[in-house]
Amino acid sequence: MRPLFLQVAAVTRINIKSIPQRFWLSLSTVMAIALVVIVLLSFLAMANGFQQTLTSSGSDDIAIILRGGSQAEINSTVSRDQVRLLEEGPGVARGRDGKPLVSAELYLVVDGVKRSTQTKANLPLRGIGTEGAEVRKGIKIVEGRMFNAGANEIVVGKALLREFQGLEMGQVVAFATSRWTVVGVFEANGSVFESEIWADLPVVQSLFNRNNIFQTVRVRLDNPAALARLQRFVDEDPRLKLDVKSEAAYFAEQASQTSDLIQKLGWPLAITMALGALAGALNTMYSSVAARAVEIATLRAIGFGGFPAFIGTLVEALILAAVGGAIGTIATYLVFDGFSASTLGASFTQVVFSFSLRPALFGQAVLLALAVGLGGGLLPAIRAARMPIVAGLSQH
Amino acid sequence: MNDLVLIRKNLFRKKLRAILMLVSILIAFLIFGVLAGFERAFNAGEDVAAADRLMVVNKINFTQPLPIAYFNRVRAVAGVRQVTHFNWFGGYYQDPKNFLIVMAVDPESYMEVYRDQIEIGAEARAGFMRERTGALVGEAMLKKWGWKVGDRVPIMSNIFMQKNGSRTWDLTIVGTFTARKPSVDTNFMVLQYEYFNETQNLGRDLIGWMALNTASPSDNDRVAKTIDQMFANSLYETSTDTEKAFNKAFAAQLGNIALIVALVVGAAFATILMIVGNTMVMAVRERTREIGVLKTLGFSGGRILRLVLGESVLLALSGGIPGIALAALFAAAMETKVGNFIPGFAVTPAIALKAIALMLGFGLITGLIPAVSAMRLKIATALGRS
Repeated sequence: MRPLFLQVAAVTRINIKSIPQRFWLSLSTVMAIALVVIVLLSFLAMANGFQQTLTSSGSDDIAIILRGGSQAEINSTVSRDQVRLLEEGPGVARGRDGKPLVSAELYLVVDGVKRSTQTKANLPLRGIGTEGAEVRKGIKIVEGRMFNAGANEIVVGKALLREFQGLEMGQVVAFATSRWTVVGVFEANGSVFESEIWADLPVVQSLFNRNNIFQTVRVRLDNPAALARLQRFVDEDPRLKLDVKSEAAYFAEQASQTSDLIQKLGWPLAITMALGALAGALNTMYSSVAARAVEIATLRAIGFGGFPAFIGTLVEALILAAVGGAIGTIATYLVFDGFSASTLGASFTQVVFSFSLRPALFGQAVLLALAVGLGGGLLPAIRAARMPIVAGLSQH
Repeated sequence: MNDLVLIRKNLFRKKLRAILMLVSILIAFLIFGVLAGFERAFNAGEDVAAADRLMVVNKINFTQPLPIAYFNRVRAVAGVRQVTHFNWFGGYYQDPKNFLIVMAVDPESYMEVYRDQIEIGAEARAGFMRERTGALVGEAMLKKWGWKVGDRVPIMSNIFMQKNGSRTWDLTIVGTFTARKPSVDTNFMVLQYEYFNETQNLGRDLIGWMALNTASPSDNDRVAKTIDQMFANSLYETSTDTEKAFNKAFAAQLGNIALIVALVVGAAFATILMIVGNTMVMAVRERTREIGVLKTLGFSGGRILRLVLGESVLLALSGGIPGIALAALFAAAMETKVGNFIPGFAVTPAIALKAIALMLGFGLITGLIPAVSAMRLKIATALGRS
């Protein structure tokens, strides 16, 4: 009698070698599992990409200040007096020239045309002062130059250019009766700011009839811990009915809403499809057991146990699932990783983001594939192990 | 024994195999039904839109305001039957998470223009015109929050403040309205523009957008051009489009939902096409000898073809119909849960019909290869094959 593990190895080898006999059926199972993995991974990559874009936008040592209860930049209003009070607040960092690093900004929505659908979409036009780029880190002009103070000039985020048309370098854009020239393209570490149009604050204020009105204030803090001090300062001053948050927290909140929603759609869809693939896998494995009935019975007759037959069938199913999972993962990576898309964000404007996969997601997808393989192999494997010898041998 | 019995017996000859195929088909059509229902709900704005309705918004973007004076000027344009105006209130109830759709409207013209979509009782109508702090609340919204007509509800805004610094408007629910079409969502409320305009702190006498009915859809183009020309080169230029186009562009802002749905449904169908197609080929090959016997008994090639195709079509229908029924049940159960997010989520008769057409097509495709090979099978080969 051979040791058990040798029996298992022998039977497993036979199982695997017999796969080509059921080539098309096995292939259909592999492809079914691959498609399940593709659907799951593309949703997860979408959710992850959106989350990455927003979370990379927020910085721990920048505070964002909105009118109390307004939740998003677009709803907020902050007066000039309030901005002045904030400039004197505790924990506010100062630039080399000694001026406080405080950027009061205007956030307006303008129409752009989406390349893919040729429909109008909401784009953010941010009016910022010279402090705007200084308060934020990692803003880099990659083409052209920054707008000049007082001029009807705009600079455009690099991601925005990908998804929307008419904003290329040198183009003239009309907002109402005012005409603006695109003079530069900027990068912002792949953050949500790359989905924005920036222009000089006073020009935007006057052309949009919002003189002396701001919507949000961004403050560079001495360090992340200074946030609490600034919050206390604002809470204690009745003139400042404002919400102070770290920019990181602000964007993390917005990111989780949308990316949770995408995940909540993706997982049930993938699991439902996995059930369909499971039915296919069971079908394939039962066929495999039926086709090898004589062989299994013969092995049993010469002294092999039921266990090797069980393992052999299970391993065959798991191999099909693993191959399907690998094909699905590679296909998703090749087709969807870096795929650019845009959707409406919390500030009622388009956020451009790229689908992005990360190793943990691959792990989830492979687990789902193997679960289908395990489920599809288990019952047929039990049948193989329990097959009565006489019935098996008398099949022909 | 007629052919139908033969088809059924053939299909369920191996019960387990048939059930597994049925399950995978059922799941594919469940996914199809749910996603098609979702997509339809998502694009419901296009269906609801009246052919003779135009939307007038600020040319920069619809979130930019227009002066109230435009209302009377648009009303005077030839071909405009009725016009009304809206302000987005940015409402919520108690907690910012409880987002509410609240708009400030001119009561009389609002109820006139949207007569085709919502039904308002005479008492509610009179109450809304009379009561300065009154609000009309849609049936769905009343139900969602457990409010009753006559209740006084504190509605907060994330955009506006009252001049006294309060963020809350206490509104009296003077009446409710119901939808005239199933695709109209009633999860919103309207309050009086005059009251809103006088109490809010951000710029007076501005409106968000206007909606108007033209005398006839054939006037749409001319009316839209006249309005936009009238305000050209002013501080507030307008962009006038049909309600349908406006709703379509708005839905498209969320993303290319139609494409996502098509890809997922395509993946689900490709999966079962392979599984079921291969299994059918295998099932018919196992029956080679039997087909030889049938042919010997005088079954024509055409009849054999019909038998196999009948089997695959029966399989598709038996799996697909319960699948689409399950999708309808699922949508009905989910409607109250997701109604706020996607109103009108349902598997409509049109979706069900499309599903049945897909089932027939699917049955024919999966059966085609085995059916043709069975038809062409020569008796000698069939009986010779062991």
